[in-house]
Amino acid sequence: MGPFAWDGPMSTVVAASDMARDVLALYGLITWICVAIGTLVFAVLGYVLVRFRERPGAPLPAQSHGRPWLEIAWTLGPAIVLLVIAVPTIQVIFRTQTLATPRDALEVVVRGYQWWWEFSYPSLGVVTANELVVPAGRRVVFRLEGPDVIHSFWVPKFGGKRDVVPGRANTMTLMPSSAGDFWGQCAEFCGASHANMGMRVVVHAPERFDAWVRAQRAPAVEPAGEPATTGKALFAASACVGCHTVRGVSAGTLGPDLTHFGSRTTLGAGMLPNTPQNLVAWVRDAPALKPGAKMPPFRLTDEQARALAAYLLALQ
Amino acid sequence: MATRIDTHPHPVAAHAEATGLVAWLTTVDHKRIGILYGVTAFVFLLVGGLEALLIRLQLALPHQRIVGAEFYNALFTMHGTTMIFLAVMPLNAMFFNYMIPLMIGARDVAFPRLNAFSYWVYLSGGIFINLSFLVGTPPDGGWFGYANLTTRPFSPGPSIDFWVIGLQVLGVSSVVASVNFAVTIMNMRAPGMTLMRMPLFVWMSLIVQFLVVLAFPIITVGLIFLMMDRFFGTHFFDVAAGADLHLWQHVFWAFGHPEVYILILPAFGIVSEVIPTFARKPLFGAPVMIYSGILIAFLGFGVWSHHMFASGMGPVADAAFSIATMLIAIPTGIKIFNWLATLWGGRIHVTTAFRFAAGILGVFTIGGLSGVMHASPPVDLQQTDSYFVVAHMHYVLIGGTLFGIFAGLYYWWPKMTGRLLDERLGRINFWTMFLGFNVAFFPQHFLGALGMPRRIYTYPADAGWTLWNFVSTAGAFVLGLGVALFLVNAALTMRRGARAAGDPWDGRTLEWRTSSPPPVHDFDQIPPVYSRDTFWREKYGDRHGRKPVPRPPMPEPHGIHLPAPSFWPIVAAVGILAAAVGALTHLALVVAGAAVTVVAIFAFALEHHGNPAHAHQVGELAVDHRKLAMWTFLGSECFFFGTLIATYLAYKGRNVVGPHPHEILNLPLTTLSTFDLLMSSLLMVLALAAAQRGDRTQTRLWLAGTVLFGVIFLGFQAWEFTEFVHEGLTLRTNLFGSTFFTLTGFHGGHVAIGVTWLTTLLILDLRGRLTVADALKVEVAGLYWHFVDIVWIAIFTLVYLIP
Repeated sequence: MGPFAWDGPMSTVVAASDMARDVLALYGLITWICVAIGTLVFAVLGYVLVRFRERPGAPLPAQSHGRPWLEIAWTLGPAIVLLVIAVPTIQVIFRTQTLATPRDALEVVVRGYQWWWEFSYPSLGVVTANELVVPAGRRVVFRLEGPDVIHSFWVPKFGGKRDVVPGRANTMTLMPSSAGDFWGQCAEFCGASHANMGMRVVVHAPERFDAWVRAQRAPAVEPAGEPATTGKALFAASACVGCHTVRGVSAGTLGPDLTHFGSRTTLGAGMLPNTPQNLVAWVRDAPALKPGAKMPPFRLTDEQARALAAYLLALQ
Repeated sequence: MATRIDTHPHPVAAHAEATGLVAWLTTVDHKRIGILYGVTAFVFLLVGGLEALLIRLQLALPHQRIVGAEFYNALFTMHGTTMIFLAVMPLNAMFFNYMIPLMIGARDVAFPRLNAFSYWVYLSGGIFINLSFLVGTPPDGGWFGYANLTTRPFSPGPSIDFWVIGLQVLGVSSVVASVNFAVTIMNMRAPGMTLMRMPLFVWMSLIVQFLVVLAFPIITVGLIFLMMDRFFGTHFFDVAAGADLHLWQHVFWAFGHPEVYILILPAFGIVSEVIPTFARKPLFGAPVMIYSGILIAFLGFGVWSHHMFASGMGPVADAAFSIATMLIAIPTGIKIFNWLATLWGGRIHVTTAFRFAAGILGVFTIGGLSGVMHASPPVDLQQTDSYFVVAHMHYVLIGGTLFGIFAGLYYWWPKMTGRLLDERLGRINFWTMFLGFNVAFFPQHFLGALGMPRRIYTYPADAGWTLWNFVSTAGAFVLGLGVALFLVNAALTMRRGARAAGDPWDGRTLEWRTSSPPPVHDFDQIPPVYSRDTFWREKYGDRHGRKPVPRPPMPEPHGIHLPAPSFWPIVAAVGILAAAVGALTHLALVVAGAAVTVVAIFAFALEHHGNPAHAHQVGELAVDHRKLAMWTFLGSECFFFGTLIATYLAYKGRNVVGPHPHEILNLPLTTLSTFDLLMSSLLMVLALAAAQRGDRTQTRLWLAGTVLFGVIFLGFQAWEFTEFVHEGLTLRTNLFGSTFFTLTGFHGGHVAIGVTWLTTLLILDLRGRLTVADALKVEVAGLYWHFVDIVWIAIFTLVYLIP
């Protein structure tokens, strides 16, 4: 991607949902109006600065105090321009915030933790973390829940952000338009690793989404062979189980559900590629990679760390 | 101009010109205090700038490790806090201090010692917050300090304590200073300087004083809530106890948005002085410029929730706050257009001051337009908390405010120092800052469009943000160089610069009518005022060239009275600093600091008691300064109690556990205590009437009665609180306990202060030191007393009577 490209994984000027299309149209309208006004002001300013610059011997200018009709004009002019902005603004506000939820809408409960995301699909019995998967062409209702501090759920290509406020039931409703993958990130400052609270967003075609759901509902994979088998034993016997769920093995709820951890592409809430090397470093000392991470460092031998990583990556 | 000082100057006049450390520590001269503000604030500007450069260095490239996450968070927190409260506001205060008395033809501010007090408290607050760096725990919750992240469970260390206490200290400084300047502007104008003849800078300053007076109590209450949550276990921001986290956001932004205008309006005022001076034309449509400033400030109180479009307020609130926000664009646009119209047809003499002012017309316009973009909530949902907003607000606060301050510096420097800054270096100074600023911040619009969030210490290499971040960092360093060039210019010209005449720019307003720098008494004679731009009128006549008939100098039968220097302002401020440090270390220090402050306040208040030179302070509005100050302060108190009461009401019924209000409130008893407090107001009226007639026996009797009734009320309250504690309701029990005790406790505190004040007057009376000339002191105390009683009526109705 070239440096001047307007597309990027977080671009706000590329739409991937119905809401984003509405917002982008408004964004464009207002931007061009502002550019036009700005250009006009600069042109007048430039002209005035050149034309009325002091010339030797010029007399004092007329000491005029103002012209009311001009001032009325530039009170009314902007008022009309603002009306042009305000009307579609109000329309889009109500269109995007008062959507009826159709019966087939997919509900996703988004929980923002310091500093990771949990996505659960109550109707599908799926719980995952840091990778949001949704189907294209179906309305999705995001229910935003904050268990600790305020976060903000922002997937730019979906068309906006909404704060995740503990104690308040915020929602965001939209319809992803077509398959694709991009990023989202926490947009409300939430403490030490606010910068490391990203997410990956995948929009699947409906059939592929259903396949993904089936895979996620499946029980955790039984590891085959070494060192994954050792890794599982290590996992089950260590502090890991206190915080993490691997269905059938543990039921911790403080950290992300790891039942299908191996299917995720990133590690640490969008921070790092989910590779064996990164995972080894992560299980040994997560706070060294992610400041403030709640998972404490563990004293593991090379062998133990590799076994644990192998087990986790096997959880496809 | 004749230079004749009254042949019998007041004896204290000799003190004010003294030099040396003690003279500066005890100065009450508005010009010296202005310089103290300026120097201190510029140092903090450099500190905040250094923090900014570290931020930009860290972000120059992805995955940098120049600073860690926690320190980065502290950097942007302290950058914002420092720039707003320690650099820009006090730089504006420098101009208020130095220029306002000169521009309205006064010899000082209304309360010179309070003015010194404001400065020393500001310095104390600035030192206190920055002490946090020395102990390794700088505040790291953002300048907006969103609760609950800033509550004890999520920010356990002392970092937020420094912030929450430091800001309260600074708030004291700001409100005291603003009451002072509001009274100065309203009451100390030279004869003939009607409100509509006031220079635009003075007008914008007046508006700012009211904004500070009315907006700061709101944040003060928010900070009190946060402090009480952190120190005393209340539940204002405890979601589990039923708290609503929107509370902090509403309280913060109800202050925070007016704060934006507190920062920018003085710059608008400076531009409105600089442009006419160098275009050599009157300001186009000056009355409309004044009204639009008032309108901006007024609307500015009704738009705070546009900072919360993402927080989930619902479509109706979003729409309402969106429209209100867009409306602000109209008066702001008028200002830009009127400035352009002022230039139109002028004869523009380009100086550095002018360049900065004209620069604002360009770059502030960009900031204003991007503001219109955020006013549309759907668009804002893509821009808020992204770099687009960072760009927007720096276009407003650097492109508007800071450039305005630099325009003011280059414009008024000769007046303040008697030396001209070097214009050649000034031109380089301007262009370096202008280029650096635009290169640093314009690309941040692109970063915002590309979805880069704010307040992140690192970012991935594949997000497409690298190039613009690098460019932005380069620009920031050029901007920093530009600021450094100003220091070079100041240093070079301080000793060797050309001497400035009294009127180096052929100015239009009164400050140019005295020498540069002005004498300690500002004007040998109070200047005559013939019109707006009165000095120009005096020099060139009206538009037909008719000069006004010179007025004879104002008779000054008492000679020039200059206020005497005083140690008490700095002693009181040191006491406050000690108490603040004590809050983080040892309770004994809090007590000691508070004791020092109380002693200093009494000494301060009684220093000139009985001094005939202080008896008569009636000004332009035919009201005594002190009375006007009390009215202004009571406006501030309205917002203080308004916020407390609104919080009580907002949290009513959100209790998770009992006891609930109806189970515990004792209506008959409180009706009795309410009646008692109302009766005390009646006695207060009788006391004042007696004091005004000079009936000392009756004054004594009724003052004693008022004090007694006040004490009885406090007794009722103490009894009520004790009962509640016995029935299991404390600050920590539930939301009701937190809000109830905080609201009624602060009211009780006000009653206690009133009782102390009236007791002091009573003692003075008993010792024969309260004469009929002091009736005004009784009146001012009475105003406060009645106000506190009225507040109680509101509390009694809303808390006790309405179930």
